[in-house]
Amino acid sequence: MVKTADAVEAEIRAIFSNNSPWVTIVWDDPVNLQSYVTYVFMELFGYSKNRATELMLQVHNEGKAVVSTGSREEMEHDVARLHEFGLWATVQRGDEAL
Amino acid sequence: MAASDGFKRHGEHSYLIQFDESEKDVLINLCEQIIELLAERVDHGQEDPLAAMVGITSHDSPPDDDVLRRLLPDAYKDSSDAAEFRRYTESTLRGKKEAHAISIRMALKSSPEGDVELDHASANIWLGGLNDIRLALGVRLKIEDSNFDHLEILTPDDPLRGVYAVYSWLGWLQESLLEALLSEVE
Repeated sequence: MVKTADAVEAEIRAIFSNNSPWVTIVWDDPVNLQSYVTYVFMELFGYSKNRATELMLQVHNEGKAVVSTGSREEMEHDVARLHEFGLWATVQRGDEAL
Repeated sequence: MAASDGFKRHGEHSYLIQFDESEKDVLINLCEQIIELLAERVDHGQEDPLAAMVGITSHDSPPDDDVLRRLLPDAYKDSSDAAEFRRYTESTLRGKKEAHAISIRMALKSSPEGDVELDHASANIWLGGLNDIRLALGVRLKIEDSNFDHLEILTPDDPLRGVYAVYSWLGWLQESLLEALLSEVE
């Protein structure tokens, strides 16, 4: 599922409306299996299989996806956990990420 | 080389596999290589014992080795933020990755018959550990995009051909564990 412009806009609004200006980004990697990336999103963030699959496909098709938003400390915690699973993730300010 | 049938769910929280001797040997060997590689990134000349105790290391730049750099990646695009984060977190990440490889190796070493049973937590450790090995082999095989053409045409005497076979087998093994984890309890 490719993200529509509306969905991107809604995401940007969500990032700023709840006062969480930092994001965790996962980057595409040809080694990590699609099913593995989906599983890690479900396991670490408690996302449904559908939501996790949607994010995995966004990473795969668009090269990256915002997988969580929050304070800088929370995002650093998320990135550390993603690195533990071998996913390629970075912390960014929300307004620089999209 | 898929002599085993992969992981199968057994009841609610248990996942079983039966490795043959050669599969066990390959996997143990790969785990040992990961453990050795991570150990190369020791904290040389740690000046401050207190800093060492709480996991702060002298490393603030990414590893030179391509494989280590993939296993211990930057957490920020900005290099000074990345350096700061690395100083406080790299040794923890390294320790966890080492622990995953040690745990897989131990499970195999302590199973003379090659059968391994995982619960949910140890399945996650195996997934992460197997993935680290695949990432390491992926760097050596120069897998940089979804194009595998350069690997499909390797000649039989090319040592990378064997590496690619192992890489593919590990992917299959990981996939079987994911399928078992995501399958409904019968």
